[in-house]
Amino acid sequence: MDRVIVPWLRVELQEYVYFLCKSAVFLAVCAAILYVSLAASYPAVHDTLHNFRHALAVVPCH
Amino acid sequence: MIVSVTRRDGTPIEDGWIQLRLDAPRPGRFFSTDFPFVEGSQLLDMRLPIRQGRVQWQYVFPIRGQYRMVVETVAPDRKTADATFYLAVKESEKKWLFLGFFTLGIFSLGVVAGRLFSAPQLPSRGNVSFWVFLLIFCAFPWVKASAAQEAKSKTYQARLAIDAHDVGKLSQIRWTLVGLKEGKSPVVNLSLKIFHLGKGQMVFVLEKIPVAEEFSLNFQFTDGDKYHIDAMAELDAQEWIHSEKTISLSGIEPPPSAAIPTIVFFLAVIALGLSMGRWSRHATAPTGSARLKKDAV
Repeated sequence: MDRVIVPWLRVELQEYVYFLCKSAVFLAVCAAILYVSLAASYPAVHDTLHNFRHALAVVPCH
Repeated sequence: MIVSVTRRDGTPIEDGWIQLRLDAPRPGRFFSTDFPFVEGSQLLDMRLPIRQGRVQWQYVFPIRGQYRMVVETVAPDRKTADATFYLAVKESEKKWLFLGFFTLGIFSLGVVAGRLFSAPQLPSRGNVSFWVFLLIFCAFPWVKASAAQEAKSKTYQARLAIDAHDVGKLSQIRWTLVGLKEGKSPVVNLSLKIFHLGKGQMVFVLEKIPVAEEFSLNFQFTDGDKYHIDAMAELDAQEWIHSEKTISLSGIEPPPSAAIPTIVFFLAVIALGLSMGRWSRHATAPTGSARLKKDAV
């Protein structure tokens, strides 16, 4: 099993564990972006992305 | 839309009227439509006269799904008949196509991220290219981004009153013929149009229905936007009475939780992309012996 050294933590982890950690952070960032883009009711965001939300057909809007 | 009203022997009913009610499709199990407040609500409730055995109007269905239309017919001899129709309306193909491209895009993002994250150590080039890719993805420009009015006529005037309600509830549109001179009001041919100013689209049209004095219609404005209602009444003597009105409706934002199924779906697509990227990285990676040979060279 490959092991990698996480440079900024200076710890050694199994490669797949490190992959899962990075993927979790990445999915959290994606979830935040998607939430703001598709669900936030803040007027500036909503008005800019209003047509985009409707164009996706599965995103609820007003 | 045309509703034909006939007797059992097939002959059309020349006179009489129908009471029509239109209900929106029920909410879906997982995905919402883009107008969640419209789902399961009543869209239309109107009484229209039968002309030459049929009733005709135009209507733009706001969401996809199966609509229920209940028609109650009353013949001149007061005999009644009921009928329920189910109308299946499909979503616009362009929207499905756009959703497909968007899903493919986020899947590709997941694949790229999965390949980069699967590297034994993040190479500096890969690291930079990943963040550049992510930046482009994030910065991609998603989107190009009642006062009644009266039209003057020589003899008559018309009053158009709209009791507007928010999305999800029926609004009442009432057109009334007001005679300046006392006497019996004539029967006019009324044409009513509802124009969605935001979309630039005609959403409802009634053409030349005979009306004596007053016509009312319960209509749901399905989008929080500006609408223009235009009523044109034709008198016998080729005299026209025009009345119009523009209303503005404020939309109701759905709760953020309504978007959760969609966001979960998109995250699942990204997660699938991540696993595919990792798989492709391992599938194309050189074997241990090949790596050793390369190091020896």
